[in-house]
Amino acid sequence: MESLPQVHRRGGQDEASERQVAPSGEPVSLAQEISALWGEHFTGREVGSEDDFFALGGNSLIGIKIIERVSQKYGVQLSVRDFYLAQTPTRVAELIEQGRAAT
Amino acid sequence: MRLTPGPGRDVDLDTVDLFDLDLYTSGDPHPVWDVMRAKAPLHRQVLADGREFWSVTRYEDVCRVLGDHREFTSERGTVVTHLGEDDVAAGKLLTSTDPPRHTEVRRPVGSKLTARAVRSWEDSIRRSIVRFLEPALDGDTFDLAERALLLPAIVTGPLLGIPEKDWEELVELTAMVTAPSDPHFQQGSEAATLAISHHELVTYVTDWVKRRRASGGGDDSLLDHLMSVRPGGAPLTDEEIALDGYSILLGANVTTPHTVAGTVQALIERPEQFEKAQADPSLIPNLVEEGLRWSSAACNFMRYAVDDVSIGGGTIPARGAVVAWIGSANRDASQFPDPHTFDITRANAKRQVAFGFGPHFCIGAPLARLTLRVFFEELLQRFASIDLAGEPQHLRSYFIAGMTHLPIVAQKRHTP
Repeated sequence: MESLPQVHRRGGQDEASERQVAPSGEPVSLAQEISALWGEHFTGREVGSEDDFFALGGNSLIGIKIIERVSQKYGVQLSVRDFYLAQTPTRVAELIEQGRAAT
Repeated sequence: MRLTPGPGRDVDLDTVDLFDLDLYTSGDPHPVWDVMRAKAPLHRQVLADGREFWSVTRYEDVCRVLGDHREFTSERGTVVTHLGEDDVAAGKLLTSTDPPRHTEVRRPVGSKLTARAVRSWEDSIRRSIVRFLEPALDGDTFDLAERALLLPAIVTGPLLGIPEKDWEELVELTAMVTAPSDPHFQQGSEAATLAISHHELVTYVTDWVKRRRASGGGDDSLLDHLMSVRPGGAPLTDEEIALDGYSILLGANVTTPHTVAGTVQALIERPEQFEKAQADPSLIPNLVEEGLRWSSAACNFMRYAVDDVSIGGGTIPARGAVVAWIGSANRDASQFPDPHTFDITRANAKRQVAFGFGPHFCIGAPLARLTLRVFFEELLQRFASIDLAGEPQHLRSYFIAGMTHLPIVAQKRHTP
């Protein structure tokens, strides 16, 4: 299995354009973005950036959807093993950063 | 787990832990089940995390739990590693679906796996098995349990429509599903191991289907067949194809190797049975049935009680999880006299429930029976004797009873 995520960029995509701004005015970190993205798949649950995927009730069918969304939104194809071994939004954010840096 | 039980011992049914992985890796579950059948045919256990389950261990009760979907549903999951979590694939995965939908899907899918349908594969299966056995006759130690993990792939790969280059990875992934705590297969935690393997296997079938759609045309394989069946007048959804494809891969890969290893081990321990089979090859089909009974590779399956239900002298409450211990049912003396004796001439060996019972009876049973019969025909014809060449090692799993290592040395048979 490859350990480095594969990156495919779409035309015109700019990393800065992905940044969102929190109500406080502080830029939202990638880990917080990933937490929010996970939250869409764990209905009715607030997901923190250190929450454990499996403790939240995560399973492979949810994992398939999250990896797909990460690929669409950030242009980074995460390795399945790395994703499940990472287990928290913070560490998944690190994988995405690594994937971007590798290009 | 040990297939030949050690001496009987005192078992405290109030404290026995049926999910203790050490019991299966290095312990001896048969004496425990013997006591359960005799004294607590319905047994309740609460795990440290609060989850609870009931166990049935008698032949008759195991058949009832597996066979009656009105009392015991499969739609909340059937595999004990997921105890307490409702199955995310319920109603979509054939094994997690009750009749009538189950019947509707199973019939067309199974039409390619009947005894008659698989007969045409016998010659190619025999060639694969001969190739598989050749290196065992080099005179060196041959780790049968480890090698046999690839046997179903070698035998059924072409039938399923899966290229040889992918088999090794698929075999590893299916092993991860069945023994997520075995150090041979674990990645990170048990939960991560299960998620990685489910994810990769479902994605594998999904990608296979995408490629097939893009290239057009069929190859008459089983996966191809899944794409073309129309149960109830409509094709399976892509999700159903992916899940059933996954399930078929799993069923093909994870049980046959352990039946092979368990049966060969029984023959090594009992040279007189080996000689008997060699002297009379017409006994081989019954040897296969006794080997299935003896090894019971699928150790158990789970159901959930629909309503309060009386069984085994007690009551399982509505929504309670019940584990049907197949490995125990196959050693029930009321059905099989001297159950812990391995006897290739056993009159009713064919009544074993290693393939399950009722609507979810193993869909691949005819193919497994054919593969095992050919395996033992070729083995007995080529091997003069087999000796153990090291300690067998058992799989760390309470779901699949199997071996990870069975080192053997075989002598070539010189036939006139």
